[in-house]
Amino acid sequence: MKRLSTLAMATAAAACTLAIGVGNAASPDTSTSVKDGTIGFVLTSRYWAVHQSPEGKVECPKGFNDGPREQFSQLFPNDGVKRTLLETQLMREGRQWFPTTSEEPFTFKDAGGKVSYGMVLDGKVKDSDFTSPDGAKGIDNQMYRAMGCISNYRAPEGTIYHFENEYVGRYVHNRFMIELTGVDSLINDDEVTINSYRGIDPIMADATGVQFIPGGTQRVDDRWGKFVRATWKGKIVDGVLISEPSDLTLPASATFDTNGLHVFKGLRFQLKLTPDRAEGIMAGYVDVEAFNHQLNTSWSTHHQSYGQLSAPSMYRAMRRLADGYPDPKTGEMTAISSALLVKFIRTNIEHPPRATASNEPAAPQAVQTLRR
Amino acid sequence: MHREIELGERRRGAGKTREYTMRRLGRAVSGAAVAALAFAMAPVAHAQEKYRPPVSELEVFIAEPMPAGFGVQHTDVDGPVFVDAKGMTLYKWPLKDLRNGDTGDRKAKEPFCAGVKYTENSGLMSPYPPGLVLPELDTRPTCEQIWPPVKAAADAKEVGKWTILTRHDGSKQWAHDGMPVYNSILDKVPGQVFGATARETANDAPALREPAAPKSNVPPAFNVKTVATGRLLVNHVGFSVYTWDKDQANKSNCYNDCLKDWTPVQAPQTATAQGEWGIIERAPGIKQWTFRSKPVYTRVQDRRFRSMEGSDISGWHNVYTQKNVEPPKGMFTVQDARIGQVLADSTGKTIYVYNCADDALDQLYCDHPDSPQVYRMAICGGNDAARCVKTFPYVIAPVGAKTGNMIWGTMWIDPITGKRAQANQQGALHVWTFRDRPIYTHAGDVKPGDTNADAWGEFNGYRNGFKAFWLRDDFLDNVS
Repeated sequence: MKRLSTLAMATAAAACTLAIGVGNAASPDTSTSVKDGTIGFVLTSRYWAVHQSPEGKVECPKGFNDGPREQFSQLFPNDGVKRTLLETQLMREGRQWFPTTSEEPFTFKDAGGKVSYGMVLDGKVKDSDFTSPDGAKGIDNQMYRAMGCISNYRAPEGTIYHFENEYVGRYVHNRFMIELTGVDSLINDDEVTINSYRGIDPIMADATGVQFIPGGTQRVDDRWGKFVRATWKGKIVDGVLISEPSDLTLPASATFDTNGLHVFKGLRFQLKLTPDRAEGIMAGYVDVEAFNHQLNTSWSTHHQSYGQLSAPSMYRAMRRLADGYPDPKTGEMTAISSALLVKFIRTNIEHPPRATASNEPAAPQAVQTLRR
Repeated sequence: MHREIELGERRRGAGKTREYTMRRLGRAVSGAAVAALAFAMAPVAHAQEKYRPPVSELEVFIAEPMPAGFGVQHTDVDGPVFVDAKGMTLYKWPLKDLRNGDTGDRKAKEPFCAGVKYTENSGLMSPYPPGLVLPELDTRPTCEQIWPPVKAAADAKEVGKWTILTRHDGSKQWAHDGMPVYNSILDKVPGQVFGATARETANDAPALREPAAPKSNVPPAFNVKTVATGRLLVNHVGFSVYTWDKDQANKSNCYNDCLKDWTPVQAPQTATAQGEWGIIERAPGIKQWTFRSKPVYTRVQDRRFRSMEGSDISGWHNVYTQKNVEPPKGMFTVQDARIGQVLADSTGKTIYVYNCADDALDQLYCDHPDSPQVYRMAICGGNDAARCVKTFPYVIAPVGAKTGNMIWGTMWIDPITGKRAQANQQGALHVWTFRDRPIYTHAGDVKPGDTNADAWGEFNGYRNGFKAFWLRDDFLDNVS
């Protein structure tokens, strides 16, 4: 794992003051939450980090991007000409599933402006970087340029903005947890380890059913969720967890029984910790092909239309803006810097019994009878 | 004992997924409206079945009076279905709300599936507008050519739930429970159910047909759900029902600690045993249902409807009224995937089925090799046939392979056109089929358990696209 540069660490520390509730952040008392140096958190909220000025006038001075309906109308206007399904709908759907980077007859509006949430991922300050709302320079979040002027990703009414966050809590498939071990203090600790897991339980909520509360229990999904496992080294500085990068496959299910994934390379955490909550940023490089795949298998063209999201157009933008992990053969960048605004709540993570020869699950076998 | 459980349920045709928070009582009789009387009539005579699925047990249904010659046929994966005098499966086409309107048959109204040859899409499915010319118009059939109505003779008499409706041309058509019934031209022999399935589909699936079927012979405290592995017995709420190897015939051994994890499905005081359903008295005044002599339970920790998690516990098993026939022996495997288990080929590559119905008002299927292939080509190859075959390869079957059942089969396919081929046609592939339709793998699946093409296509693979052949899903509802 790449160690953070001095610059990156300093930047991360300076950029940690996001608008998050810090409650009892100053409390040094971790004894009730940290047990044997361990504390667990479950993800309850997750948004792509899209910094918005009022009505988007700063970042989207030319307005917002067109979506599938608008593009369809531009290509095939209602002019009385009879057109076939094959040359219109099926052609467009084909391009949805096999996008290219060839020029298209639509103008894509990147998000402009200088300010974005995120983290310094490459240890550098470049012209293309952003400045955080708190003034930290070198913020890497080119995904913001790709999605910032797409209504679907903008608060508060963006469909994907709203529902993907709702699904974090609603669908157990998305139950993402981190467990910190080696914790001596939630205020300052030179070395902690972070492990990620998928849970299999609903998140404990209050009487409203929508406000999640700390202290519930999550069993680790040891059977189907091994793909979520990852490990980070990190430290806690003035109550902020800062980690080194590690790859992560994040469950990202939407509705209609989809079970998509986001593939992050070099993901790192920057989370303000309290005994009951962890809030802040997860940032890393999103694999462009994987992101596009998750988008299309989770949200139909119809749903993408709700917020004027043209997947083929966004794909082109992501490929153009990609700034990480060059393809070893072509040199073309395959991943794009990105950031998620996240909230976690404390949970008791229950690990399965240690596997032994007697309880090791059987290897997959030919179908005889699915004996139940 | 009370327990809060968060559930998810998806209803056929409903606009959105709903969640219910339910309170389950440990000792009360399940359900608020459990009927107390015997729940089935004695079977009446019906046409002899012409096919027997190769499974050990068949589902018992509630017999009812039928038109002369009509009967019930057990099938490989869809349970018992109504058949006409020739033994051919009957289907109905329930009205369904699509994004921009509805289509299908309305109850007790003139059948909508008629002799109109639609030439344009209806625009019922967003986001594409109506008025687009449909493909292959020269050969496009009418609805009634694909779904022949089951006509009633001039002197036919209505009986029981079977009524007679008048079609657009004045002819008479049989209906069951108000819904017109049809055959499918895909069904060639009795026992085939190639036209449609009894399984539920997601909300944005087309307005699909479904087999017309008798009610399952289960007490009101239970229900039967068609899932990927068979006809699953659940309680009336939707929770899976289980049996235990350590019980004996008509005797429960689940007491004390066992009851912390397993809840006997109680029978009301006035219920009586009938057929496969028995009642035992596990304690004075406390009665429990048995099915095929095995006491039945629900599992306390089941969070979801139709769960299979209880079967992971040694000695406990989900209960089926009828299990599905097995895939061809030695040709397929079961692989663990990110939400459960999938059917895979012999090398471990996930199997996918392709779903398609067009958006004309008659919603004709486009997922069969005899139907236009342009829909599939758009999704599987971006309108490039060669890329299609490369991205979603067919699953090759040995020449001469036999399956011993109706639902699994083989056919010769021209991989470039996607249409049926002759055996001696150059380039033709001999491929496995499920429901008379080819199955596929996906080039993007690298290791066993990869399901990267699940939900690939329009409307998450339900309208025009691919779905993994899920056998078990512990998180979502992909097996219903």
